[in-house]
Amino acid sequence: MRAIDYALREAWASLGRNRAASAFAIAAIALAMIVLGALLLVTWNVERLLAEWSSATEFSVFLRDEATSEERGAIEALIGESGVVEAQQYVSKADALTRFRREFAELASLTEGFDDNPFPASVEARIRPEAEADGRAEALVRRVAALPGVADVRYDREWLARVASGLAAVRGAGFALALVMALAAAVTVATVVRLGLYGRRDELEVMQLVGSPIAFIRGPFVAEGVLQGGIAALLALGLLWLGSAAVAGWWGAELAVVLEGGSLQFLPPRLCGALVAGGMAVGGTGGFAASRHAV
Amino acid sequence: MIETQHLSKLYSRGLYALRDLSLTVNRGEFVFLTGPSGAGKSTFLRLLLVQEKPSEGDILVNGHNLATLSRRDIQEYRRGIGFIFQDFKLIPTRTVFENVAFVAQVLGVPPAQQKRKAFQVLKWVGLQHRMNAYPHDLSGGEQQRIAIARALASDPVLLLADEPTGNLDPDLSLEIMNLLREINSGGTTVLVATHDRELIRLVGRRTITLDAGKVVEVA
Repeated sequence: MRAIDYALREAWASLGRNRAASAFAIAAIALAMIVLGALLLVTWNVERLLAEWSSATEFSVFLRDEATSEERGAIEALIGESGVVEAQQYVSKADALTRFRREFAELASLTEGFDDNPFPASVEARIRPEAEADGRAEALVRRVAALPGVADVRYDREWLARVASGLAAVRGAGFALALVMALAAAVTVATVVRLGLYGRRDELEVMQLVGSPIAFIRGPFVAEGVLQGGIAALLALGLLWLGSAAVAGWWGAELAVVLEGGSLQFLPPRLCGALVAGGMAVGGTGGFAASRHAV
Repeated sequence: MIETQHLSKLYSRGLYALRDLSLTVNRGEFVFLTGPSGAGKSTFLRLLLVQEKPSEGDILVNGHNLATLSRRDIQEYRRGIGFIFQDFKLIPTRTVFENVAFVAQVLGVPPAQQKRKAFQVLKWVGLQHRMNAYPHDLSGGEQQRIAIARALASDPVLLLADEPTGNLDPDLSLEIMNLLREINSGGTTVLVATHDRELIRLVGRRTITLDAGKVVEVA
């Protein structure tokens, strides 16, 4: 405990002594943490929305204009008797036009000059979650698509899968970038801590000559890296919070439309904690690497 | 306390800093180690502090064979050794009191005990009134007395001094030697490396003279 107490006090004093160099190291870690944090913020929000949307997956069967009531009845019967959907609803051409005018009020004027209503009638079905998971929904969609009177079937799952796959690619590239930046930050910390170390050569020599334990000799440098990393991560979180608040303030209404009523949310405490721990780990690694030169 | 047998230290290119050195320093003794520059005095002290390992032979200190100590054993061994250097090696960013308490602090001694010991040794060297000053505020003699106080903070059984009066005038040098004699009278073995023949004459203790890494005289 005394070694930890000593390490923390010495590390804090060293941060004060080497303000400019420490600020540089903190900025480097903060930059890496901002990239990682922004990535987490985006992927976490998208994943959250995907989960919400996945739990309420629908498919829409668009009918040909010339589809007969028998054909429509056969489609509704197949969907209703499949046991795959929770509910279904017929949306007439007129209902579709009304809905468009309501949801896209700014574009409503464009529909005024139509001689004929261009929106197709459709049957919308909300899928049971278990049918989604076991593939029955997929099979039903294929069967419905083959029925007479059907112009097209839009199954939300397909674009959700595409978004999820795109998200995985973004996440992979983002993590790779964050990893490279974290490595660069660790090297910066190691360099800064090492500079401070050279300024304390006499002190370190005295420590070694009096038989000080390694924990007392190397500990302050590791602690200095950990403190730099922790401060940088908190700084990054603060900036990310301001950034996300600004985005929500400036583009909140547009986001609500795109996200179908959803909103951008800041990272949950567990991810904030993980980011701070990550920053401390990056700094600690740099400090640990530099501390090898102390003995 | 110190015993060497056929001790040699060979540097690269076949240069011997010490060659076949066999000597003994008894417990509680005050011994001068002298000789011209390059005689091997500082190398011998570095071997005693285990900053270097011998190339050949044995070096035994207080029962420890220094050639075979592990890293942990070296730490343990050094806790019983005090040292004083010509350039004092005081930490400029710490006060006099902090410099002295530093030894106990980095050995994990409880804070109250650190302070008690630091004040005790500062009082002993007569500088308790300068405890809040920084090293650059002190004269050379005062700085060396602080270095002595720091060396005493761990209650060493052996005190090593490498040219402790090299930066001091004759009066201050004698003052420092008197302090070392006082420390020796308390039972601490003292080994002082110096090339100051006049000082050795004034103090009048056993003297081992080295030249080119060999003992050439014991008087």
